[in-house]
Amino acid sequence: MPQTFPRWTNALPAIVGVGGSVLVAASALAFWYYGSPRYTDVGYRPKQPVPYSHKLHAGDLGIDCRYCHTTVEVSPSASVPPTQTCMNCHKLILPESERLLPVRESWASGRPIQWTRVHKLPDYVYFDHSAHVTRGIGCVSCHGNIAEMEVVAQQQPLNMGWCLDCHRNPDPHLRPLQEITNMKWVPPQDQAQFAALSKKDWRLSPPVDCSGCHR
Amino acid sequence: MNHSGGQKHWRSLEQLADTAEFRQFLHREFPQGASEMDNSWSRRNFLALMGASLALAGLTGCRRPEEKIVPYVQAPEEVIPGIAQRYATSMPFGAGAYGLVVESHEGRPTKIEGNPLHPSSRGASNAFMQAAILDLYDPDRSRHVLHKGHQKSWDDFVTFWREQRSSHVDDRGASLAVLCEPFSSPTMARLKREFLNTFPNSLWAAYAPVTDESIFDGTKLATGELLSPVYHFDQADIIVSLDADFLLTESDNVANARAFANGRRIDLQRVDMNRLYVAESGYTVTGAMADHQLRVQSSRIIAVAIALASELAAQGLQLDYMRGIPQPDLSADQLSWVKAIARDLMQARSRAVIVAGRRQPAVLHALVMAMNAALGNIGRAVSYVSPKDLAPSNTADLARLSAAIKSGRISTLIVLGGHPVYSSPVDLNLPESLKQVETVVHCGTHVDETAQQASWHLPETHFLESWGDARAADGTASVVQPLIEPLYGGRTAAEMLQFIVTGNEVRGYEIVRDTWKALLAGADFEKRWRAVLHDGLLENSAAPSATITIRHQEIHDLLSQQPSEFKDAGISNLEVNFAVSPSMFDGRFANNGWLQELPDPVTKLTWDNATLMSPKTANELGVGNGDVVSLTYRGRALEIPVWIVPGQADYSVSLELGYGRSFAGQVGNGVGFNAYALRTSDAPYFDSGLAISRTGRTYELATTQEHGSMEGRPLIREGTLDEYRKNPRFAQEMVEHPPLVSLWKDRAYNEGYQWGMAIDLNACIGCGACTIACQSENNIPIVGKTQVRKGREMHWIRVDRYFEGDVDNPRMAHQPVPCQHCENAPCEQVCPVAATVHDKEGLNTMVYNRCIGTRYCSNNCPYKVRRFNFFNYTKDYHETIAMAQNPDVTVRSRGVMEKCTYCVQRINEARRTAKREDRQITDGELLTACQQACPAQAITFGNIIAPDSQVAKAKADSRNYHLLGELNVRPRTSYLARLRNPNSELSEA
Repeated sequence: MPQTFPRWTNALPAIVGVGGSVLVAASALAFWYYGSPRYTDVGYRPKQPVPYSHKLHAGDLGIDCRYCHTTVEVSPSASVPPTQTCMNCHKLILPESERLLPVRESWASGRPIQWTRVHKLPDYVYFDHSAHVTRGIGCVSCHGNIAEMEVVAQQQPLNMGWCLDCHRNPDPHLRPLQEITNMKWVPPQDQAQFAALSKKDWRLSPPVDCSGCHR
Repeated sequence: MNHSGGQKHWRSLEQLADTAEFRQFLHREFPQGASEMDNSWSRRNFLALMGASLALAGLTGCRRPEEKIVPYVQAPEEVIPGIAQRYATSMPFGAGAYGLVVESHEGRPTKIEGNPLHPSSRGASNAFMQAAILDLYDPDRSRHVLHKGHQKSWDDFVTFWREQRSSHVDDRGASLAVLCEPFSSPTMARLKREFLNTFPNSLWAAYAPVTDESIFDGTKLATGELLSPVYHFDQADIIVSLDADFLLTESDNVANARAFANGRRIDLQRVDMNRLYVAESGYTVTGAMADHQLRVQSSRIIAVAIALASELAAQGLQLDYMRGIPQPDLSADQLSWVKAIARDLMQARSRAVIVAGRRQPAVLHALVMAMNAALGNIGRAVSYVSPKDLAPSNTADLARLSAAIKSGRISTLIVLGGHPVYSSPVDLNLPESLKQVETVVHCGTHVDETAQQASWHLPETHFLESWGDARAADGTASVVQPLIEPLYGGRTAAEMLQFIVTGNEVRGYEIVRDTWKALLAGADFEKRWRAVLHDGLLENSAAPSATITIRHQEIHDLLSQQPSEFKDAGISNLEVNFAVSPSMFDGRFANNGWLQELPDPVTKLTWDNATLMSPKTANELGVGNGDVVSLTYRGRALEIPVWIVPGQADYSVSLELGYGRSFAGQVGNGVGFNAYALRTSDAPYFDSGLAISRTGRTYELATTQEHGSMEGRPLIREGTLDEYRKNPRFAQEMVEHPPLVSLWKDRAYNEGYQWGMAIDLNACIGCGACTIACQSENNIPIVGKTQVRKGREMHWIRVDRYFEGDVDNPRMAHQPVPCQHCENAPCEQVCPVAATVHDKEGLNTMVYNRCIGTRYCSNNCPYKVRRFNFFNYTKDYHETIAMAQNPDVTVRSRGVMEKCTYCVQRINEARRTAKREDRQITDGELLTACQQACPAQAITFGNIIAPDSQVAKAKADSRNYHLLGELNVRPRTSYLARLRNPNSELSEA
């Protein structure tokens, strides 16, 4: 009886077996990498309606974050400043600047400037700025060094695993409250000691249960 | 397992009869068809199609959506984005007002609570107050000035009225009339006076279908003055209610419920409670709280009262006016009831109160007032105040107005609020007579039945958008201040009236301030006005108690005119009752979906009313639940389905008002049946002469009654006060079970905060305020009648109602059931994706973003408190309804399970505040939504391992028991057994 299948098909099960597993592994790996917020979200840098430079204001001029983001210590929301805050200075400084035209238009018309959100959490996550900045987590820990960004971009993945890493072990990220907005602060030699002390002082217990952030 | 000592509770007639249908219902986890799609596709077709469309469209949705941040241009000083603000205001309601504190998020009011400073609420609320927030955002509210159905502008009306006005001024208003809702508002009263000064010959009528008119008339009969009763039930040991549902549908019910529950509170210091007798024709929540409920037809309540007065006189009370009044013919049962009550009342003189309901005629109120006076109760459990700034509803005035219209005298009628075309007595035929009026100006929130008949319709603002004022039942002057600019334009009633009187437009704020300048006469107006705005009320402005002089001769004359023999109602001569709806009230809430879906506390019907009758009456008529019958009364007919309610008086049927509206809006149109079609001005609440015939058709009613039945185990545990005194642990001993051993290693739960709840069944009145408060706080959708029929209602806290005892004379009890937050939670053990897990503070958390919708958890929940989103109910919310959502709670999507969270958002907010202030959360600082709303303070919540906390004390009470505790699920929610305080003279039914 002649053979129905040519000889080379004897290798087929092995090829399919090995190739298939490689393919599955590769797709899993690809999805793990390309699907993760580390790839999809980090580096997100939308164009803003006003060419506002954090580097100039927060970096070169050294304006404290809280001059504009006023509610960061008392509210879940850090809040984007009203047009009024811009006009406090820009009534006098560069009052004719082309780049500031949208701000002056907003001020004159009463229509707000529509900024594009960079750091976005899903609607079922309830993050609270005040809980973090009053307990020694600096702005830079989540937002990166804003003082060096011309246009703000997302620096951290902001996914749940990333949150939990810090909630499970906040020690390396804790800093004195007066250094909260300092972008260049480096942990001292005795960081472990400081962390242990402040955790006790602040009765720190970062929630790791679902109910901490989801409601 | 052995259930000893528990009463046999049953939840419905089907269960008592133990029919095959009921058994089948019980054993299906989700009612029949619950797992089928709503349309004709089968699940298989659907999955096939879904697979295909996913393959086609799966990868196109990966782009990150762009989201905008829109800051203020000029930030208001007091707003902190992300932090809610609270403002005091008031909700005018009939001849009173409820004091409120409203939560607002960035200028968007989202939640109503009672004002802790206000005597009408003391921080609690009822379902109407809770649901009023949804009315604000009702997309069906009127937006435009209409002239004969065409859109016009306010300026057009201004021009029109200025012309009209001058001619009315010339003839001193001879052809002008106003029909308004009753009010007790200093500003409206001032404008009314100005109106009558400007147009002295005009007619002014105030009318609403459900009011305290007969109570006011009764006080006038008894004393010659119009007085309003204010009750202090905590001062009474014996309470006799004659058809008064003072816990829910009567005036000032929130304050009443609180005081009543305080008089029943048992603790270590005080092992005593009040005793409540209720005589009524149809079961109400007040009847359910009664220690003795007497079923009696409404028309015979007066006979019971006269018998009671004679009995009191016979027992030595000085009641001169009873001399020569014949004893009415009562049954032996009723007489022994009356005798026992009389003895109790005599013993508790000055610590007792008799209450008569607003549905009863004036003569009964006069008699009750005289009895209270003779018993020395006035000034203690009841006091009378002379109401200020009141425009009481008056049916005679409405009849006078109707006659004037018919005579052709009236050329301009101004209708201020209300819905008179829908709800006025049918014999006055208002809709027809309005056609004779040249100009009808209607000012209301909706283009409703009345607006359809009007030549001009002017949109009115909601009270949360208005400046105004009102007086509470005890006379406290309260201010109404806006939380938001009018969403749809419109004017307040005061602004309209001001314009109608003067022809000049003045802002509402100025009008109200002008009134208050007189109220706050003296120095420092600005400072005191700011204080009033802050508190929501003027301190110490309650009216003083009036001194009462009873006119004995008048009462004697009235009583001698009463027939001593009452024609018995029978199957061919039934008594018809018009009952106040606990959810629609008089129909004003018809377009409110929350209230439409709130199960009636007694019938558990949603989205409908029915004709309620006793099992015996139904049997004799040969009808059952859902059979459509034709009611004929005084030549008018109404077709309406039947619902059988055990405990209804025989041969007496009840119709709830407020349903069957034709122009309420998308939600309320055509829901239920319009009982106003039978209601006449001389018999507004009950009358005999009703005939019922079968039509042979049936109608599907949606009830939540059977869903989640717990198979007759002692779920509500109750005993008598004497049993409790003998054995305080009786409730815990009702179920015997082997030692409870867990398969798992137990978690300790012994540090930090450990949240828990205790619900005192002795206080719970079953009103449903908690259900609506939870719905508002937690963004719970409504699902509609067809979904309720499938058992898909979404309420996180339901109120179960059980009957007990004889089917003809049952007792009723209520039990609120939210998620019990079991420490050994059965739901958690079966979730395949760990979407429901415990946190270290003992909360059984539900993680929506993990849930894949297997519904295993709900299958395994012994309490049936988990709710599944069968559809994306929130997707098509109108943008204004979306504004009513609480931003602190996730809005759920399709395919997700949800349930009570113990208001975790409030826990987290309290934690944040405490941490920022570097302290612990204090007991009582944190209230769940249900707890805060509960008018009877039945719910306590807090840290169960802090020994001083209220909840720990409640759980240490000997009445404390766990629902199905024998399952060893270790619920964090526990119940305090209910106690009744029956009179030993009256044998137990």
